Amino acid sequence: MTQPALLTEPDKASGSFDLSTCDREPIHIPGSIQPYGALLVLEPGTLRILQAANGTDAILRADAKLIGAALADVLPASVFAAVEQVEAATLAPGVSHLGTVRFAHDGGWRSYHAIAHRSGERIILEFEETVADEPGSFEDLYPHVRDFLDSLQAASSVQALADMAAREVRRITGLDRVLVYRFDENWNGTVVAEDRNDTLPSYLDLRFPASDIPAQARELYRLNRLRLIADSDYSSVPITPTLDPATNAPVDLSLSVLRSVSPVHLEYMRNMGTGASMSISLLREGQLWGLISCHNAAPRRVPYHVRTACDFIGQILSLQLAAKDHAGIAERRHARRTVGARLLGHMAAEDHFLGGLTRHGDDLLALTNAAGAAVVFGGTSALIGETPAQEDIDRIVAWLAAHHRDDDVFATDNLAAAMPDAEQLKDVASGLLAIAISQVHDSYVLWFRPEVIRTVSWGGDPRKRAELEPDGLRLHPRKSFEVWKETVSLRSAPWHETEVEAAGELRTAIVDIVLRRAEEMAAMSEQLVSINKELEAFSYSVSHDLRAPFRHIVGYSQLLKNNEGQVLTERATRYVDTIIESALSAGTLVDNLLSYSQMGRATILPVPLDMNALTAEVIRKLEMEVGSRAIHWRIGELAPARGDLMMIRLVFQNLLSNAIKFTRDREEAVIEVGCHASEAENVYFVRDNGVGFDKAYVAKLFGVFQRLHRVEEFEGTGIGLANVRRIVERHGGRVWAEGQVDAGATISFVLPSGTEF
Amino acid sequence: MADLKPILLVEDSPKDVELTIAALEQCQLANAVVVVRDGAEAIEYLHGRGKFMDRAPGHPAVVLLDLKLPKVDGLEVLEQIKQDSTLRQIPVVMLTSSREERDLVRSYHLGVNAFVVKPVGFQQFFEAIRDLGMFWAVLNEPPPCAPSSEQAA
Repeated sequence: MTQPALLTEPDKASGSFDLSTCDREPIHIPGSIQPYGALLVLEPGTLRILQAANGTDAILRADAKLIGAALADVLPASVFAAVEQVEAATLAPGVSHLGTVRFAHDGGWRSYHAIAHRSGERIILEFEETVADEPGSFEDLYPHVRDFLDSLQAASSVQALADMAAREVRRITGLDRVLVYRFDENWNGTVVAEDRNDTLPSYLDLRFPASDIPAQARELYRLNRLRLIADSDYSSVPITPTLDPATNAPVDLSLSVLRSVSPVHLEYMRNMGTGASMSISLLREGQLWGLISCHNAAPRRVPYHVRTACDFIGQILSLQLAAKDHAGIAERRHARRTVGARLLGHMAAEDHFLGGLTRHGDDLLALTNAAGAAVVFGGTSALIGETPAQEDIDRIVAWLAAHHRDDDVFATDNLAAAMPDAEQLKDVASGLLAIAISQVHDSYVLWFRPEVIRTVSWGGDPRKRAELEPDGLRLHPRKSFEVWKETVSLRSAPWHETEVEAAGELRTAIVDIVLRRAEEMAAMSEQLVSINKELEAFSYSVSHDLRAPFRHIVGYSQLLKNNEGQVLTERATRYVDTIIESALSAGTLVDNLLSYSQMGRATILPVPLDMNALTAEVIRKLEMEVGSRAIHWRIGELAPARGDLMMIRLVFQNLLSNAIKFTRDREEAVIEVGCHASEAENVYFVRDNGVGFDKAYVAKLFGVFQRLHRVEEFEGTGIGLANVRRIVERHGGRVWAEGQVDAGATISFVLPSGTEF
Repeated sequence: MADLKPILLVEDSPKDVELTIAALEQCQLANAVVVVRDGAEAIEYLHGRGKFMDRAPGHPAVVLLDLKLPKVDGLEVLEQIKQDSTLRQIPVVMLTSSREERDLVRSYHLGVNAFVVKPVGFQQFFEAIRDLGMFWAVLNEPPPCAPSSEQAA
C-alpha cells in the first residue's frame, strides 16, 4: 500500500469500516526504502546494477548513471574490494553481513554496513549507515547476551522468561518501551511482559485486535525475524526504475533491512505516539508465537549489531518458550493421565463400567477440571456436581446427536453461542465438553463449566479499528490507544488442550471396554450354543445307544425264559427274572434321565390351567397305584394358573404319586391338595401323613437321583422331585418341602399368577 | 400264505433283527420277513435294483424302519419313500430307541404312518410289534384268511 488505503466501495450504509484492506496491501514490494542508506539490485554473474535507491546522503553517484553500470565502476575501490565476493556470499539462504565500508562524504567519511541477500534471481546489496558510537561487532555485545543466557536457566515460567527478555532487549537497545506480545488462536495479541521508562505509557496486559498486524505482515515477520522503523516521519526513497527491466516485476524486499513500510503503519505509529519501532519475531515450531515489540518516543536508529543481538535473544527466547510450553503441557498431561488411569481402574472394578465413573465423581470431574458431569447411557443419566437439570441435559444430548453426531469429542467455552436456548444454562453450563461413547445409542459423558465473567482490556476500542476521512475515501487506523475494557460473558474458562485430550482418551478407553465386553458376550453365547449342542448330541446318543443294550438284555432273557423255560431249573429261572428286572430298571433310569434333560430344553407352551380339573385327572390315573387302599383325599379350591399343560400335569403326577407311595403304611392315608392364592403368586401344596423325611436331608430332596429311602422300602429312581423343581423353576416359580420323619411331608410350589409368559 | 406280501425290516443291529423276528414269530404273522441292514439297501430293495434286481415284483406290506442306520439313515429312507410316487403308498413304521421329540416331529412331517419307540421291556415290544403287524401286514390288506384262526394257538 504505497498510497493511503482506498475504499473503492465504502460501506456507508452499515458504517462499519475496518482495516481488512490492509490484508491485501503488498507490503513486501513497497518499491522504496527507508532513507538511511542505499540499495542496489544486481544481476548475478555480471554484477550490473538493474535498479537502485540512493538514500538521503546520496553516497552513490547520480541515479541516471547508476542503472546499467557495473558495480566495480560505481563503488569506490575500497568499498568494491569489500563487496566483490557478494555473489558467493549470497549463495546461502538468508542475509550476509559483508563488512563495514566507508564512503567519502562532504569532505569526511561515513561508515556503512554492507549487507546482501538473494531475492529471486537478483542479488540485493544494501548499505546501511552506521550509528555514531555503535558497537563494532556482535562480539562486543556478547558478554551481555551471555549473561542473559545464564539467567534464562533460572527462569521457572513462561512469564519469567518473557519478563527477562523484555528487560534485556531494552537494556541493550536503550529504547523507551519493550513489550512481549503473544498471539492467541485468533491472532489477537496480548502484551504479556513489558519493560519501559516513563516516556511511553504502559501497554501491559492490553489486548490488540488481529487487524493491527494483518496476515501478510505476520507472514513477513515469519520470514524476516527483525524489522526496524527508525523514524515514523521518514520520507521513503523510491527504487528506480520501479520494475526490473528484465522481468517487469517489482523487487521483493521481504528480507531487506531498509524496506520501506506501509504508510498506514506509520500513521498507526504516530497515533501511538512512537517515533521509532522495532520488532523481533518469536517463532514456535515455525509458527509465529508472538513478537518482542520495541518503541521509542523519538526517532531512533538501532545499530545493526545490536539488532543482531536482539534477534539472537528472540531466538533463544523462542526456544525456551517452546520448551517451557512443552514442559507445562507435559506436566498437565501427566496429571490428567494419572486421573484417567485411576478412572480406568474404577471402571474395570465395576460390573458395569459406567458405575466406575459415577461412583468416583471426584476423579471424573478432576479429569477435565470441570464443575459438573453427566454420564448419559442407554436412556438413563447419572449427574455429578454442578449440572443442568435432567431435562436440559436431555436437550443438550439431543442437540449433540443432531448437530455433532460425527464428533467423537466436542468442546466449547460458549455453549450459548453454539446451542439454541442455552443462555439460561450459563451458570452451570457455559462450557461443555462432551464425548460420544456409543455408536448406537445417544450416549455421552458430558462435563460442564460455569460462566466466568472476564474483563479484557483492549489497546483502544477494537470495534473502532479504522476511521474514514470526511471525503469517505481515506482510511486511518484508530487514533486512541486508551485502555478500552470489554466484559466477556456467557463464557466459561476455556478447555485446555490437555483436558480435551484427556476426555478423548477416556472415550477411547470406554469404547474399547464396551467393544471388549460385547465381544466377550458374543464369545460366551457362542460357547453356550456349542455346549448346548454338545449336550443335545450327548442326550441323543444316550437315548439311542444306551437303551439298546438294556433292551437286548431284556429281550434275550425273555426269549430264554419263554422258549427254554422248561429246561431251566427254578433257580435259573429266578436268575433270569433278576436279570430282566435289573435291565428294566436300568432302562427306566435312562428314560428318566432323558425326560429330565428334555424337561430343561423343551419349549414351554403356556395355556390357562384349571388346576382342580388337572388334579382330578391325575388322581384318576393313579387309581391303579392306590389299589384297594383307603385314601382320604382333601382337595381344596385351587386357583387357576397358566403354564405348560404336559409339564404341570407331570408335577402333579410326581407329587401325588409320591404321596400315595409314602403313605402306603398308613392305616388311613390323608392326602391334601391346597392353594394359598394372592395377587402376586399362587402357592399350591400337596400334604400327606406318610413317612415324611429327615429335615437334615431336605437339601437333597430335589436333587437328581437323590433318594431318602432304601429301594426295598420305596421303589423309584429319584427323578420325580428333580423334575418337579425343574418344571416349576422354568415357569418362573419355586418349590420347597417341609416335613419330619413319620409325620408326613408337604411339598409346596409357587406359580406366578395371572397371565404371564 | 405265499401270496402274502413280505414285511421289509430295515435294521442294522443283528440283535434287534433277531428280537424283532422273534416277536413277529410270536405274533404268528405269516408274512415273510425281508431283512436289509442299511438305508441304501432298503432303497435298492424297494426299487428292485442292485442285488434285488431279481426279487419278486411288488411292494412290501409294511416297512419297519429303524431310525439310526448306516449310510442312509431312517429319516432319509422315509423321505425318499414318501417323495416317490410309486412307493408313497407303502406304509412305513418307524422303529426306534429315540425318545427325542424332534425325531418324532420330523417323522410325522415326512409322512410316517406310525412311530414306535422301542420299549426296553420285551413284552411291550412284543405287543407293539404284534399290534403293528396285525394292522399293517394283515388288517390293512384284504385278509386272505381270518387272522383270528391264525392266532388260535
